[in-house]
Amino acid sequence: MSINENIFVVIMASAIFYGTPLVFASLGEVLAERSGVLNLGVEGMMLLGAVAAAWVSTNVGGPAIVVLPLALVAAMIAAGLGASIHAFLTITLRVNQIISGLALTIFAGAAGLSSYLAGIWHLGKAPVMHQFLRLDVFGLADTPVVGPILFHQTLLTYLSWVLVIAASVYLFKTRMGLHVRAVGESPQTADSVGIPVARYRYAHVILGGSFAGIAGACFSLMIVPTWVDGMTAGQGWIALALVIFGFWRPDLMLVGAYLFGALSSLSLTLQARGFHISTAFLAALPYVMTIVVLVIASNASSRRQLGAPAALGKPYEREER
Amino acid sequence: MKRFRLRLEPRSDLPKWLPWAVPVGSFLVALLVGAIVLSTTGQNPFSVYARIVDRAFLSDGAFSGTLVSATPLLFTGLCAAVAFRVGFFNIGGEGQFVMGAIFGSGIALKLGADVPGVVAVASMVVFGAIGGGLWALIPGILKTRFRTNEIITSLMLNYVAAVIATYLIFDSQSFWRELTGSGVVFPKGKVLPTIAWWPKLDFGSVIVPFGFLLGMVIAGWLYVLQRKTRFGFEMRVVGGAPTTARYAGIKPNRVIIAVAALSGALAGIGGATDVGNFRHILDPKGLQQSGFGYAGIVVAALARLNPVAVVFVAILLGGITNAGYALRGPDFPSGLVGVLQGLILFCTLGGEVLARYRVKRSSPSDVIETALEPA
Amino acid sequence: MTQDSLVEAATAPAVAAFHITKKFPGVNANEDVTFDVRVGEVHALLGENGAGKTTLSNILTGLYRPDSGWLEVLGDRVNFQSPRDAIAAGIGMVHQHFRLIPTFTVAENIALGSAHDPINGRFDLAAIEERIVALSESFDLPVDPRAKIWQLSVGEQQRVEILKVLYREARVLIMDEPTAVLTPVESEALASTMQSMARNGRSVVFISHKLGEVASIADRVTVLRHGRSVETVTENDVNALASLMVGRSVESVQQTTESMSLFVAESAPVVLEISDLCATGDRGLKALNGVNLNVRAGEIVGVAGVAGNGQRELVEILAGLRRSSSGSVQVDGESLENGSTRHPIRLGVSYVPQDRMGTGLAPDLSIAENMALKKYRRPPVSRPPFLRQSVIDSEARELMAQFDVRAPSETTPTRRLSGGNVQKVLLAREMSGDPKVLVIASPSQGLDVGAVAIVHQLLLDAAGKGVGILLVSEDLDEVLSLSHRIAVMYEGRILDTVDRVDADVQRIGLLMGGQMEESA
Repeated sequence: MSINENIFVVIMASAIFYGTPLVFASLGEVLAERSGVLNLGVEGMMLLGAVAAAWVSTNVGGPAIVVLPLALVAAMIAAGLGASIHAFLTITLRVNQIISGLALTIFAGAAGLSSYLAGIWHLGKAPVMHQFLRLDVFGLADTPVVGPILFHQTLLTYLSWVLVIAASVYLFKTRMGLHVRAVGESPQTADSVGIPVARYRYAHVILGGSFAGIAGACFSLMIVPTWVDGMTAGQGWIALALVIFGFWRPDLMLVGAYLFGALSSLSLTLQARGFHISTAFLAALPYVMTIVVLVIASNASSRRQLGAPAALGKPYEREER
Repeated sequence: MKRFRLRLEPRSDLPKWLPWAVPVGSFLVALLVGAIVLSTTGQNPFSVYARIVDRAFLSDGAFSGTLVSATPLLFTGLCAAVAFRVGFFNIGGEGQFVMGAIFGSGIALKLGADVPGVVAVASMVVFGAIGGGLWALIPGILKTRFRTNEIITSLMLNYVAAVIATYLIFDSQSFWRELTGSGVVFPKGKVLPTIAWWPKLDFGSVIVPFGFLLGMVIAGWLYVLQRKTRFGFEMRVVGGAPTTARYAGIKPNRVIIAVAALSGALAGIGGATDVGNFRHILDPKGLQQSGFGYAGIVVAALARLNPVAVVFVAILLGGITNAGYALRGPDFPSGLVGVLQGLILFCTLGGEVLARYRVKRSSPSDVIETALEPA
Repeated sequence: MTQDSLVEAATAPAVAAFHITKKFPGVNANEDVTFDVRVGEVHALLGENGAGKTTLSNILTGLYRPDSGWLEVLGDRVNFQSPRDAIAAGIGMVHQHFRLIPTFTVAENIALGSAHDPINGRFDLAAIEERIVALSESFDLPVDPRAKIWQLSVGEQQRVEILKVLYREARVLIMDEPTAVLTPVESEALASTMQSMARNGRSVVFISHKLGEVASIADRVTVLRHGRSVETVTENDVNALASLMVGRSVESVQQTTESMSLFVAESAPVVLEISDLCATGDRGLKALNGVNLNVRAGEIVGVAGVAGNGQRELVEILAGLRRSSSGSVQVDGESLENGSTRHPIRLGVSYVPQDRMGTGLAPDLSIAENMALKKYRRPPVSRPPFLRQSVIDSEARELMAQFDVRAPSETTPTRRLSGGNVQKVLLAREMSGDPKVLVIASPSQGLDVGAVAIVHQLLLDAAGKGVGILLVSEDLDEVLSLSHRIAVMYEGRILDTVDRVDADVQRIGLLMGGQMEESA
C-alpha cells in the first residue's frame, strides 16, 4: 500500500475537501458576529447559494472558466439578499436576532425558498454542467503525504485558504477591522468616536451572508455536485458552533473545520476499512467539544481573553437624552 | 448633505385594537408577499392558496390530517413559549422532543403488552416528560451555574440527541431495535405493543388524536399557571425585569431552572406523543426530517408566547404543513411551506415593531443632541 | 501678525465660554455661564450635583450645542457641530466612566477613531505604539501599549484615557471627577500629572466636588450653582469655597413645614442600626469604610453627599441586593441576613430605589401587579399556589386612590406612567406594607414641583406614623427640609451627623467636600 493510501493521509485529504464549505460558512458568520450580530440563518443562506449556483451552472452556456465564477457570484448575491432581510430586521428594527435568524433558515432552507426555486427551475434532475474539480497543483499531487492533502484540492478550497488569511489580516491588522471589532465589543464606545455602527453591521452581515452562499455553492458545485433538497444537512449549524470553537478567530476556525471534517469522515473511512467503531461517539464528539469549549470561554476569568464579542446578540440603540 | 436616518420612537399610546390587528395584519401581508412570489414564478397564487385551504381544512379528512401535523407543533410550541417567556432561549426543543420519543418508546416496550392501556399511555407521557426535561436541564444548569449561553448549548444537544437516536436504531443491538425478521438486515425500531398505541377519538367528521387533546389540556393548564399562580407571576417578573425580580426577593436562577425543565418536559411529551399516537416505532430519520423543534419556535413567536394562542397557531401551521404533504407532487411547488412559514414570521416580527414604535425621520440636528450618559 | 494681535494671542485664554445657556425640558442646566481657562493653567469646576458641570463640559466638547452664548478658543470664536470639531480645536475630555474596550490593547483603544492615522486603511500598529511610548514618557504617564485594558488597574486605565486625548493633540483636557475611582496614592500621582501638563503648556479643567483637592491643586476655581457660574476665584480657603458651592447664608435652615417636629424623642426605639458597615464596590475598591448610623421610629435621617461616595452601595446592602464585607445591620433589634432580598422584606424594610424603572418596577407588568410585587407570597393576595387576581386588583385600586396615582386603570403597564406617578406607585407599595424602616433614594429626582410636594408630604406622613426613614438624596435642599437629622457621607463613611436645629449649612458643605476641620 502506497503511503498516499495510508489511512491518515486519506482522512486528512478528505477532511479538507469536505471541510471547505464549513470554512466559508464559519468565516461569513464570524464577520457578522464580530460586528455584534448573531445570524442563525446560515443553513438557509447556504441553500440559497447552492440553488443559485446550481442554476447558473446548469443554464448558463459557456466554458467553465466563465460559468463557474458567475455561479459563485450568483451564490453570493442570493445569500446576501437573504442576509439583508435579517440585517434589516435586527439592525434597523432591532428585532430579536435569534428568532429572525431562525425565520431566515425556515424561509430559505430545506422545504423553503431554495426547494421552491429548485422545483421551479427543475434542478436536481441532472448533474450540473460545470463543477469544481480537484486540481493537480504544480504537478505535485502525487508527492508523498502532502500531495493528496495540499496539492490535490479544488479551487474553492484554495480560495477558502486565501479568504482565511485575508479575514485574519482584515480583522486584526487593519483600521476597519479594528473598528468592526469595536462595534462588536462596545457599540456605545464605537459610536462615541464616530464609527457608524449600523453601517458596519449591515456590511458585515450581508458580506458574511454572501460567504455562506459560497459555502452552499461548494455543495452544488463541488461535493455532490448537483442540487439535492436540503443538501447542506445541518452543516450550517455546525458552522455556528465552529465560530465559537475557534474563539472567533479565522485561523482557529480553519483548524476546527478540518477537525470536524476529519471526525465525520473518520467513521466512514474506518467502517470501509473494516473497523467497526461506534460512529455515535465520533459523530457526537464535535458537538460535545463545542459545548465544553463554550463553557470554558464563558467562565469569568477566561472570558476576557477568549470570549465572544461583548455586544453579540444585543440590538444597539443610541441613548437619547 | 441631509442624512437620511430612521429612528424608532416608542409609542406612548397603545390603541386597544392593536395587539389583535398586528398578527392578523402581518399574516395578510405575508400571504400577499407569498402571492407575489408565486405569481412571479409562474404559479397562480389563488389556486395554490385555495388548494392549501382545501387540503388543510375543508376536504374529507383534511382537518384530521391537520390535527396530526399540528400535534407535535403544539408541544414544541408550548416548549418554546414557556421558555422564551423567562428569557431562556431554548432552541433545543428538537433534541428534547427526540429524547422524549426515546424515553417514551423505551418504557412502552419495557412494559410490554400485558398492562392496561391507561398505564401504558400514562407511563409514556411521564417518561417522555422526564426525558425531555432532563435534556433541557443541561443547558439550564450550564446557563445558571456556568453562565454559558443556552442558545448554542441547546442547539448542540439537538445533534447529540439525534446521534443517540441513530445509534440506538442503526448502530447497536439496543433494546429499541427490532432484532428479528427483516430487522436483522434493515435497521428499524421495534414496533410498540398495540396496547401502547394511543387512541384517536372519532367525532364523526373529525378524528382527534389523544395527544392533541392532551396538548390542549396542558396548554390550558399552562395558561392558568402563568396567569393565576405565584410561580407564573415570578416567571413574568423574571422574564421582563430580572433585576426587579431579585429586588422583590425572587431567585431568578431557580425560576429559570424550573422553567427549563418544564419546557423540556413539554417537548418530551410531544416526542412521546409522536411515537405513541402516530409512528409507533422509534424512527430517527423521520424525526430528523420533521424539524418539529424549530417549527415550534415559529409557532411560539407567532402566538406571542401565549399558551392558548399556541393551540390555534399550531393548527394553522399544521394545516399548511399537512397541505404541503398532501399536495406534494409535480404540479405543486415544493418548499412553499417553508416560504409561507418564514414570510409569516418575518412579517409578524416586523409588524410587532411597528405596533410598539413609531418610525420617524431624524434630522442631523437631532443627532447632535444625544447624550451618552446622564448629566 | 501685528504687535497687538501677537500680544492678544499670547494672553488669550485657551478656551472661554460666554453667557452659555442650555435648557432641557424642565430644567435649566446652564444659565448665563461665563468663564475662561488660561493656557498652562489647572482650572477646577466646582459644584454640587445638578449644578451644571457635566452639561457645560458636554458643550465644551461639542456633544451639545448651547441655546445661546458662544465659545472661544485662543481668542477665536468657534461653533462646534460635533465632538469631532471640538477635538480638532484641541479640546478633549476624559470621562468619569471610561470609554475603553476591555479586550483591546492600550494601543488599539487609543488608535480607535483617531484622526491621525494615515488614510490608506492599513494602519501601522507598531508606529502607534511607538508614539504612545513617546507621549507617555514626556508626560510621565507610564503605560505598556501592548497591555490589554482588563489587565490594568483603574489608575492605569485612566492614564490610557488621558493618553487617548493627548494622542489627538488636545491642548485643553477636561477631566470629569477624575479622582472618584482612584486610591489616595493614585490621586496624588494624578495631581502631579495635571500640574506637569499645565507646565507643558496644556490646560487642564477638572470637575470635582472635593474641596480639598480643588483648593490644593487648582490655580483657579469656577464655582457653579444651580446652573449659573457664581464666581471664579483663586481661593485656597476651603471654607470660602464651601460657601460659594452651597450658596446659603450661614444661618440655620428655616423650617419649611410646620407639621414637622424638631426632633424625635429619645424614647423612640431605634429601628435601624448600622454598625461599622464595610463593603466593596463594583470596581473592587472599598465603597463603604465603616458606616455607623441609627434611625429611630418616626425619624427621618437624611444622608447628604455628592453621588459616588457610597450611598448607592449602602442602600443596596439594606435591600439585600449587595453583600457587605463586614459590619452589621439590625432592624428593630434583629440582625439582617447578608445578601438576602427576602429577609429585609420579612423584617419590614421597604426600599424605594433611585432606579425606579430598572430595579423598582417591572415595566411590562401592570400597576396592580407591581404593587403586589412584595406581598404576593402572603395572604390575602396569595392562596398557595394561586394568586388571587381580584385581591391584587382591588388592593391596587385602593392604593391608587389613596396615593392619587393617575392612570387609566390598575391594569395599565407601568411603562406608560409619568415619572411622578411611577414614584407614587413605588411609595404606595413600599409604604402600604406597614414597614418599620423605609429606605428611599433620590425621591424627587426627575419630578415636577407638584409631584415633589406630594412625595415629601407622603414621607412626612409616614414618619408621623412611626416609620423610620433613611432618606438618601443628592439634593441638599431636600435633605435639609425633610430631615430630623442630617448625616453627611463622604468616601464611604459618615463624617458627621447633625441635628436639624444645629444644622450649619456651611459646615455641611465642607463635610460634603471632605473637610472635617473647621478653620477659623
